[in-house]
Amino acid sequence: MNVEATDLTRRLGRTQAVAGVTIAIGDGVFGLLGPNGAGKTSLLRMMATVIPPTSGHLRLLGCDPSEYGQRRQIRCRLGYLPQNLGYYPRFTVVEFVEYFALLKEMPAARVHRAVAYAVERVGLGDKAKARLSTLSGGMLRRVGIAQAIVNDPQLLLLDEPTAGLDPEQRIAFRSLLRDLGQQATVIVSTHLVEDVGAACARVALMDRGKIVFSGTPDELTGRAVGTDAVGDAPLERGYSAVLAQARS
Amino acid sequence: MSATPHAVVSGAIRLLRLELRRNPMLWMLPLIAALFWIVVYRRSMALAPSWSLRATTMQTGIVSVFVPTVAGAAAWMGSREGRHGLVDLLTCTAQPRWARQLAGWAATTGWAIAAYIVCVGVLYAATGRQATWGGPLWWPAAVGVASVPAFAALGYAAGALRPSRFTAPLVAMAAFFGLEISAQFIHGNDSYWQVSPLVAGPWNLGRSEDLATFYPYLPDLPRIQIIFLAGLTAALLGIMGVPAGSGGRWLRRFAVGITTIGLLSAGTATALAGTGRLDAHGMIAVPAVHDASDDLPATYTPVCGTAAIPICVHPAYAAYLPAITDALKPVLEQIAGLPGAPDRLSQAAAIYRQQSGNGIAVGRAGPAVTGTPPVFHLLLPIQFPGPALTATQLATALRTDTARAIVSAVISSDRALGPAQQAVADGILGLYAAEPDDPVGAAARRFAALTAEGRRTWLMENLAALRAGQVTLHQLP
Repeated sequence: MNVEATDLTRRLGRTQAVAGVTIAIGDGVFGLLGPNGAGKTSLLRMMATVIPPTSGHLRLLGCDPSEYGQRRQIRCRLGYLPQNLGYYPRFTVVEFVEYFALLKEMPAARVHRAVAYAVERVGLGDKAKARLSTLSGGMLRRVGIAQAIVNDPQLLLLDEPTAGLDPEQRIAFRSLLRDLGQQATVIVSTHLVEDVGAACARVALMDRGKIVFSGTPDELTGRAVGTDAVGDAPLERGYSAVLAQARS
Repeated sequence: MSATPHAVVSGAIRLLRLELRRNPMLWMLPLIAALFWIVVYRRSMALAPSWSLRATTMQTGIVSVFVPTVAGAAAWMGSREGRHGLVDLLTCTAQPRWARQLAGWAATTGWAIAAYIVCVGVLYAATGRQATWGGPLWWPAAVGVASVPAFAALGYAAGALRPSRFTAPLVAMAAFFGLEISAQFIHGNDSYWQVSPLVAGPWNLGRSEDLATFYPYLPDLPRIQIIFLAGLTAALLGIMGVPAGSGGRWLRRFAVGITTIGLLSAGTATALAGTGRLDAHGMIAVPAVHDASDDLPATYTPVCGTAAIPICVHPAYAAYLPAITDALKPVLEQIAGLPGAPDRLSQAAAIYRQQSGNGIAVGRAGPAVTGTPPVFHLLLPIQFPGPALTATQLATALRTDTARAIVSAVISSDRALGPAQQAVADGILGLYAAEPDDPVGAAARRFAALTAEGRRTWLMENLAALRAGQVTLHQLP
């Protein structure tokens, strides 16, 4: 298992953002669903070693992120796309991705090719020399994905990766996700259930800081059977049914 | 997983190249060039082409130009992670935050130092074409160069600590006013504030062409200032590596070590600056770092002009020699050959003494005339600190003050002149009071009314009595 969390909690001020999450995630694409404020981003930030857990145990890629040396090892093998992607407007696409490749301590000799490959993979080859300040929101999101995958990560954490992408880009991105999931653990946090249905082999649903469902997308769909859950698609109805059950 | 040293170095070089390409300091370069031109270059070039004068003036001016711009650009750079919302994304990268910050600081500093070198190069090249003696003074330039990384570190640390779009302008203003105001606290000797990189010599002396001409430039204070600035740089850079999250345990311990060493160095330098005293040659001597060999006079071959009495000046003043000769010629023709008259006028070094408060007295070391044959030790008006003199002002000062000093040395053995001596001096110089009831003025007018030959004949016959103070006003022709 590349991610093993046991009784993981995280308090942000007076708010209990994550309230005792226990989960194990292996290779493949894993979807993390939940309404706004469910604690998905906080859980992802802990997995990205941005913030430490308040309590509980977390192991990533077989290492303990609370120990500096191991945390560095994790970070070399980690890709992360935060919900709100910040960027340096004067950097070009290539420079931005190269910057992160270097900060992820990729061997300098490999950086050039890896950057070009990552930029091509997200479909920004023709915009490689463009300044980030000139790009649209969807393109910036793809730059964010490029920086996350540039080091060929074994653990890829994507927080709302399809936000701002048009339908064509979203379809291409799902294909990329499936491709990436063949060699790595990809955790996608989203509230767009169609993304999960199309790309994820397993899914967890969070509500109020807890995991209220963990299984396959089909199992989530099956939770709607026999309920009056609302939703336009079967997966959405399963999502609604689980949330309703958790809150009842 | 640990990278080889070669990989670490090549990665660091690539990161630095990237930071250099996109560094905000690049946008400040035109501003720096304009400010340098207005504040430093034009002012320095308006001064006499003396290496010491221009170098020390440059140090004060160029520090004022570079400090706020570099501190501001560095603060902008240091605050960028927070301003652009990149903290989360950068936190989860393997490189320690400190390494990332050092790369940004190094790029900012690199551009600033490159600009600084160009500015100093331009000024020194222009001075090199005009100066008649000496060579570039590197210590003032070194103090300026050392202040660049220090204030870049200050700006970067402030930006990293308070990431806001207002941080950079506030830091730039604070650095400028902090530096300028610090100089106001300097009072005479023993001031800790002399450690400020703005200070290129005794702060209350003002500009003086005389410094580092007859004696070598004293590097005591620049040495102290460079130690202070290096310590400040180390401390500020170290502080950025101390907080949790800046790096691993050993890296943070190293940062604590650097900070401690930096603070100790800066503190020691400040304490030493407080012991700096005005030396006899107009520079700041710091006993703890003073090298006695710096007190030996500089060797030079005087440049001499032809007049009734030869006038010899230091080669640094060679450009003034025609004006000096023209101004003193009428007086020298009248006194040449008189008993006790000097055989030669030789320019002397001025002597500086700290007075109570902020005053500095500048004068001649000993008697005006010494030796056999007698030599008059000439102090030119331009050797005294003050605003630069125009050609007319210089000629007037030479005809009045300098000429009077020469005449006084010939007609009196005392520093103070008696009434008859005063009248003779005024008569020779043609400078006397217009009031008819002033007896000295009346006697001076009588003496001046004589022909040059008549004055000379009378002086030949009566100079000994006049020098002894035995001639009264009524006895004057």
